[in-house]
Amino acid sequence: MNNNNSTSDQSLTVKNLVEALPEDINGSTDVINPLQDLLAGLESKNVPTKSLMRMWILSSLQAKVAIGYLAYGLRKNFVSKSEQEMMLNETHTKAALKIISTMGYMRGAVMKVGQLLANLPTLVPDQIADVLASLHFEAPPMHYGLIRETLLDELGSEPEEIFDSFDRKAFAAASLGQVHKARLKSGEEVAVKIQYPNIARTISADLRNLRAVMQPMRFSVDWQSIRDNLEDLETMLNMEADYRKEAESCREAAPYFAEDEDIVLPRVFDEYSTGKVLTMEFLPGMHLKEYIETDPSQDERDRYAELLTLLSSRLYFKGRMFFADPNPGNFIFMENGRLGLIDYGCIRRITDAEWDLQMDAWRAGLNDDPEALDKAIALHCLFDSPSAMEAERLKLLRAHLRWQLRPVLYDGQFDFGDKNFFREGVELHMALFRKRFTRGAPINIWSSRFIFGFRALVYKLKGKVNLKKITENEMRDLPELA
Amino acid sequence: MRISKQAKQETDSRILKAAEKLFLSKGYEDTTTRDIASSAGIATGTLFNYYKTKESLAMRLVTNAMLQGQEDFTGKTTGEEEIGEEIFMIMTAELRRLRPYRSFIGPVLESGLSLFVKNAPNEEGEALRLQHLHKIEEIVNRHGSFEVPFEVAASLYWSLYLGILAHWCRDESEHQEETLALIDYSISMFTRTMNYDVIREERK
Repeated sequence: MNNNNSTSDQSLTVKNLVEALPEDINGSTDVINPLQDLLAGLESKNVPTKSLMRMWILSSLQAKVAIGYLAYGLRKNFVSKSEQEMMLNETHTKAALKIISTMGYMRGAVMKVGQLLANLPTLVPDQIADVLASLHFEAPPMHYGLIRETLLDELGSEPEEIFDSFDRKAFAAASLGQVHKARLKSGEEVAVKIQYPNIARTISADLRNLRAVMQPMRFSVDWQSIRDNLEDLETMLNMEADYRKEAESCREAAPYFAEDEDIVLPRVFDEYSTGKVLTMEFLPGMHLKEYIETDPSQDERDRYAELLTLLSSRLYFKGRMFFADPNPGNFIFMENGRLGLIDYGCIRRITDAEWDLQMDAWRAGLNDDPEALDKAIALHCLFDSPSAMEAERLKLLRAHLRWQLRPVLYDGQFDFGDKNFFREGVELHMALFRKRFTRGAPINIWSSRFIFGFRALVYKLKGKVNLKKITENEMRDLPELA
Repeated sequence: MRISKQAKQETDSRILKAAEKLFLSKGYEDTTTRDIASSAGIATGTLFNYYKTKESLAMRLVTNAMLQGQEDFTGKTTGEEEIGEEIFMIMTAELRRLRPYRSFIGPVLESGLSLFVKNAPNEEGEALRLQHLHKIEEIVNRHGSFEVPFEVAASLYWSLYLGILAHWCRDESEHQEETLALIDYSISMFTRTMNYDVIREERK
């Protein structure tokens, strides 16, 4: 089946990007021209060969999210400033873009975010869901020689000594590396995730450079927020780069699910795992795309949508964590209607202070208390009170939160396959970006990814779920919401 | 009295062992040929019958390790590898055998394998260079030769290789993983630019 993925294949043009600029500056030539030059410079940088290109574009979701912020941050600086300030900004923007253009994966990220923005008005929800799904780490592919060296360094033995068999070709890409199927000497089928050497340090150093070069732009009102978010992204990157932490999260979450709940978390084999190699039980089954191609019945779709919802809600309410990786490759549709979760790298734990704020928002939402809801919105966006916010910002954020809550408050099966509903959420999200209302606590990035990620999955699945019932069940024992 | 070939080999191996031990414990710079001779239980004059300089001796250690690495490489190949993967494998197999010498190998390589002279500055260094390049040529030929003349390829390869060695000596990352990534990138770059198609594509 031909997957319609024209958004990611389409090359970025300056015209597209310029069209995607916020309306208030689109058309003003003194803004467009320098920006056009900058982007044209970036665009015309030739990378000699396709394979080199692939090798250098190590696109990470974190980087892409960061770029999303940066791109808006950069554009914003062309608006409503004196000429002198504008020139200063332009200099820093040039410096920042120059740095970005030297970082393979960042450049890829600029393009992808650019495409998403540029095409937004004409994108159909399926394409948006595809783009969301494709936002994940992309390390360069490794040949077996490199895999062998890494295993030798990490586990101290040749693959043949450790494994009964080991597939030379990877069967999946993973965050910062790739996954190989193997069989242990004791007979278990395993998936071995191996990280590309030194990749996390490279990305981390690049992010630090970027922050340093953008330092002079700190006069911007939202700079502190951008900075905090970049720091948060770096922390997350470092977390994702340490596979031991992933093993820990997986072990921690496994007991949250009873056997009859049909959610399977793979067992981790510690003796064959390190910070850069993770050996886990192999879960046989299909990925979302293959599963959909089998044309499952509505009942089956609803069942999996329910499992996905249960999984995310349980991790949130019980584990106080956001499973913030929407990549469909992380889910396995197993036999007998079971759902497997195979990648635990992208977990953002919610701190006590953040949790209290989240609970305030829940209480306000469930009690339909508009005043308390506004207050929660203000605090999430780092304002002291709703009165400190611009009316339009508050209005858009309110609408966004109501969109999030709508399926939770709906009686009965909510249809997540509804195009209009999905599109409405994405448009609200993008409107916030376009209006540059991006200021917020770092946790907001993860909650957005969590909500959009799962909603994109159940949208693609065209599943109907009684979210209200699941949410009520999951929050039943929470004293905060009693 | 003529000494037998076997006795000669035994002395040579004693010298190499003594030198290895001293380089690791005292450091390369602070070890003298006198120290090595005395530790090997021979006269300093006898040592010079085997190695003209300390540099040559150290280069022999390096060469032996690399040869061992090449043997390891031969044992690991299956015939399924692509050209880049094979070059990667031979390089990493050699480096793994050289790993015990990493603390002192920098100055040894610098004096034995210079980028700025056509051939290596000493006999052992030159032998090593030719030997390694010969192995690479074998790999290249096995996969169907490059379009560019092998001398051009060899020069480019050798510069990359010395750069990798220099980086590896100073690589502070865990298990020298930074070098591992560098080798991967360097070899991909090398194998691709050895074909005219790439040049044609770029100059269009």
